Amino acid sequence: MKQNNNMGRLSKVFLCTLISSSILVSGCKVTIKGDDDAEELVQSTVDTIVNGGNSDGSGTGEPSCDGTLTTSGYRFPCDAIYVAPEAVDGDDITNELLLALFEIADDSVVVLPEGNFKVSETITISAANGLTLTGHGIHSTKLDFTGSTGDDGIRFEGGNDITARDFGVYETNKNGIKAVGANGVHFTYTSTVWEGDLAESQGAYGLYPVQSQNILIEHNYAYGSADAGIYVGQSNNIVVRDNTAKYNVAGIEIENSNKADVYNNLAINNAAGILAFDLPGLEQAYGTNIRIFNNNVYANNTENVGHGAVSIAPPGTGVLVFAVSGVEIYNNDITDNDTSAIELASYFMSDQDVANYPVNYGDTIAKGWSPMIKNIYMHDNTIARNGDNPQGVLLQDVIAGYSSAYNSTGTPQVFPAILYDGIGELLSNAGALTDFNFMVGDDAAADGVNYNPYGADDLLCASGNINGNTGPSYDDVNTGLVYGTNPLDAFNWDANGNPAPSLLIDKMVNNTFLNCELNRLPEAVVTFKGKVYGCTGDDQAEPSCAL
Amino acid sequence: MNISKIKNIVLKGSVMVFAITLLSACKIVFKDGDVKVKPGDGANTGPVSCSSQTEGVNWGALLTENCANLSDYNLFADPADPTTNPNSGGIPYDLSTALFTDYASKYRYAFIPEGEKATYSEHEAFEFPLGTVLVKTFAMPENTADREGNELVIETRLLILRESGWVARPYYWETTADATLAITGKSIPGMTTTHNGEELNFTYGIPKATSCTSCHAVVPLLAGPDDTREAIFKPIGPKARFLNSDFDYDGLVMNQLSYWALNGKLENLPADLESVSQAPTFNDQTDLDQLNGEELNDYAKAYLDINCAHCHRSELSLPEPLYAGPAGGSGLQVEYNRTYEENPGKFGVCKTPVAGGHSDYSADVVPLNADDSYLLFRMSTNDERHRMPELGRSTVHGEGVALIRKWINNLPSASCSPAP
Repeated sequence: MKQNNNMGRLSKVFLCTLISSSILVSGCKVTIKGDDDAEELVQSTVDTIVNGGNSDGSGTGEPSCDGTLTTSGYRFPCDAIYVAPEAVDGDDITNELLLALFEIADDSVVVLPEGNFKVSETITISAANGLTLTGHGIHSTKLDFTGSTGDDGIRFEGGNDITARDFGVYETNKNGIKAVGANGVHFTYTSTVWEGDLAESQGAYGLYPVQSQNILIEHNYAYGSADAGIYVGQSNNIVVRDNTAKYNVAGIEIENSNKADVYNNLAINNAAGILAFDLPGLEQAYGTNIRIFNNNVYANNTENVGHGAVSIAPPGTGVLVFAVSGVEIYNNDITDNDTSAIELASYFMSDQDVANYPVNYGDTIAKGWSPMIKNIYMHDNTIARNGDNPQGVLLQDVIAGYSSAYNSTGTPQVFPAILYDGIGELLSNAGALTDFNFMVGDDAAADGVNYNPYGADDLLCASGNINGNTGPSYDDVNTGLVYGTNPLDAFNWDANGNPAPSLLIDKMVNNTFLNCELNRLPEAVVTFKGKVYGCTGDDQAEPSCAL
Repeated sequence: MNISKIKNIVLKGSVMVFAITLLSACKIVFKDGDVKVKPGDGANTGPVSCSSQTEGVNWGALLTENCANLSDYNLFADPADPTTNPNSGGIPYDLSTALFTDYASKYRYAFIPEGEKATYSEHEAFEFPLGTVLVKTFAMPENTADREGNELVIETRLLILRESGWVARPYYWETTADATLAITGKSIPGMTTTHNGEELNFTYGIPKATSCTSCHAVVPLLAGPDDTREAIFKPIGPKARFLNSDFDYDGLVMNQLSYWALNGKLENLPADLESVSQAPTFNDQTDLDQLNGEELNDYAKAYLDINCAHCHRSELSLPEPLYAGPAGGSGLQVEYNRTYEENPGKFGVCKTPVAGGHSDYSADVVPLNADDSYLLFRMSTNDERHRMPELGRSTVHGEGVALIRKWINNLPSASCSPAP
């Protein structure tokens, strides 16, 4: 490089940019050739003041403030910090990246180089404020973590208004891009990818904000995760839109989180497309107010190779709601999922040892986690060609029942497109769980967590859903209940007084089951750098927000 | 048009201006005006610099400067030996149960500015005065059976309490003369030691400075969309329970807490030492067969605390409200001062792993069946996908694994335990 000729003797250049004489450095280039170390770097005494961030002047598409755009149209500011701008494909840029990000100044923009680079450790970024970490584009900057000694790719710990954009993270040992305890997380035009066959050994979560606030995840691509491609956990005020989640165990998962809008996404070829979960024992004990709308949820029929909580998701699932209350699922196109379009399950489906719930889950029940599933409103979804090949350990007996004479009709049935376990509701309606009320802490009780018989607002309702099947298979789009929910119906109990599965089934359209309507849920509001995102903010004119 | 030529001219002129006015190496100024990466090349002319010749510790430099060489801080009488003879009343200390780091020996010193004191805390790390530096040197013994014998001094980590809070600065002993600042860490292949007669050969990793927060920071439990509190950096080791044991001060054997108090370096220590929490002394010579059930629980809790609970902790007893360890959200929370019986699930009992998991293990901890316990597997593997702790070790701590194995196999039966 020309600038290096100017620098003279050094192969390592630590080139900083002063924008005034006040010793305030706002931009800095970190350039290291070779694989040597920081101590040499910091000992290097070559320092330069230049005007603006563009010092090389080579005219080879190097970083500049004269209008360089990412492929998504993001313009690098003049005081951007360029990491290893001269690195070539295959270079390991770990040290340069670490140095650039170490105790980073507020509102910095750190630019990753264009090309494919190795990163050999977790990049930890602590307590960054207003940081933008950007590449040149989702296909233009690729960070390959193959052989890394760390588990995660990029990890933000704490911090406010953090952006990761315009780059891809490949083959991390565990998670792709994680943020924990951050307020303001914007992931956009990133990809998290594990190539090759989906196997247990692939990474866990692709995009992974947890215990965070104000999360905006948009225009990303998540592929090949052995857990969830896009996972938001124990967080509040969330917008997940315009993403593609493909060939993961779970495509998009919202877990123990409040106020989430998941819309305009494509979930395809996962084991399960879109999931809303509440798991027991977590710091944020439960979530609610999750809206899943206008997504395309296609052919999620990949084998479930996951372990831990996600392993319960039956392959062939479009949308799975598990032990969480307050979910609205509407105007989605849910097609070609071999088990069900929508599955609604209480925690009792996974752990039937009700007697041990106080021992196993007493603490988390006190904090408001509940095995129940309530207030689920499914409407105006288009559902087609589901149930061709129902699978899943969780549903083994249910599948066996519907595919044989052992269901309410006495003849084999196509597996229900909407499947509800009903057992929690049956037990509640029978008053069998009222003792659980004594375990619920005051805060959770005030928030409406209870084990009383279901009231009108607690119901699971399906209305106005559209059968997308044609011709002879039109009758195959059905609603099924594993357990009837009326405690006065003797068919719902066995001789010992235990719940008895009835495997009810009827047409989804003009159905007898789940035939009710509920109040709509309010929009999620994400505030990031002072601007409001989502249906009450930048997407006010977005048609899906008017649905 | 030859843009590059014009810019090169600008560049040269700027270099001259810079050289004349600052006579300093590359600076990056960040956040609160603290200096980020700044080599102490001796060019500074101010009252405080890395090259200041100080009688004892170079306190001034510690407060503001990131010196290139460890010796610049003048922490030890012999700048080439960070294992003995601290300057300015630096106190050596040991932890009764310690974090495992590839069987390295550790030499710890607390340098508390003259006339200042740390403040006792019942459960948490002591509050230290401004300017305190906690110094930990890692050395690999030739043979772990003889820690007084030959060893290779590898790295010295500083935790310095500055105006802006604690900062971490790792120094690497590339030569035996001095250690140099290693912000990006260092990977050292071919590290060897003999342990129990077996030669271990592995790559030792000096963590990069940014990794320090992974263990040393607690993160806010955000209370709402307007909560913008930041992570807080904290020391881990110097807690009363780990210092409540004897230390040999050149022949004077004394309880460490008493020694600190006696030397005017610790205030608010309860007069009655019996009332102070005490973690048991666990080391690689501890004979697990000699422990009764209660002791086994105590040892296991101390081990989990110092090795895991810096991340796997809740807000329990943290002085700052609504903060927790970065991995507290996983639900595994193993603080020593947490009562097991109150909620075994916090110790992983019958808890399904949240992220990932492994097909061979049904829960984090399966009482009476260590072989089915994911937590034990994570301690026992070097696979980056599963390894715990995720940082700071390249080898498996056989003795620690044996302790936790025995603990799990002696826990009271739980709902996920094998049927009797």
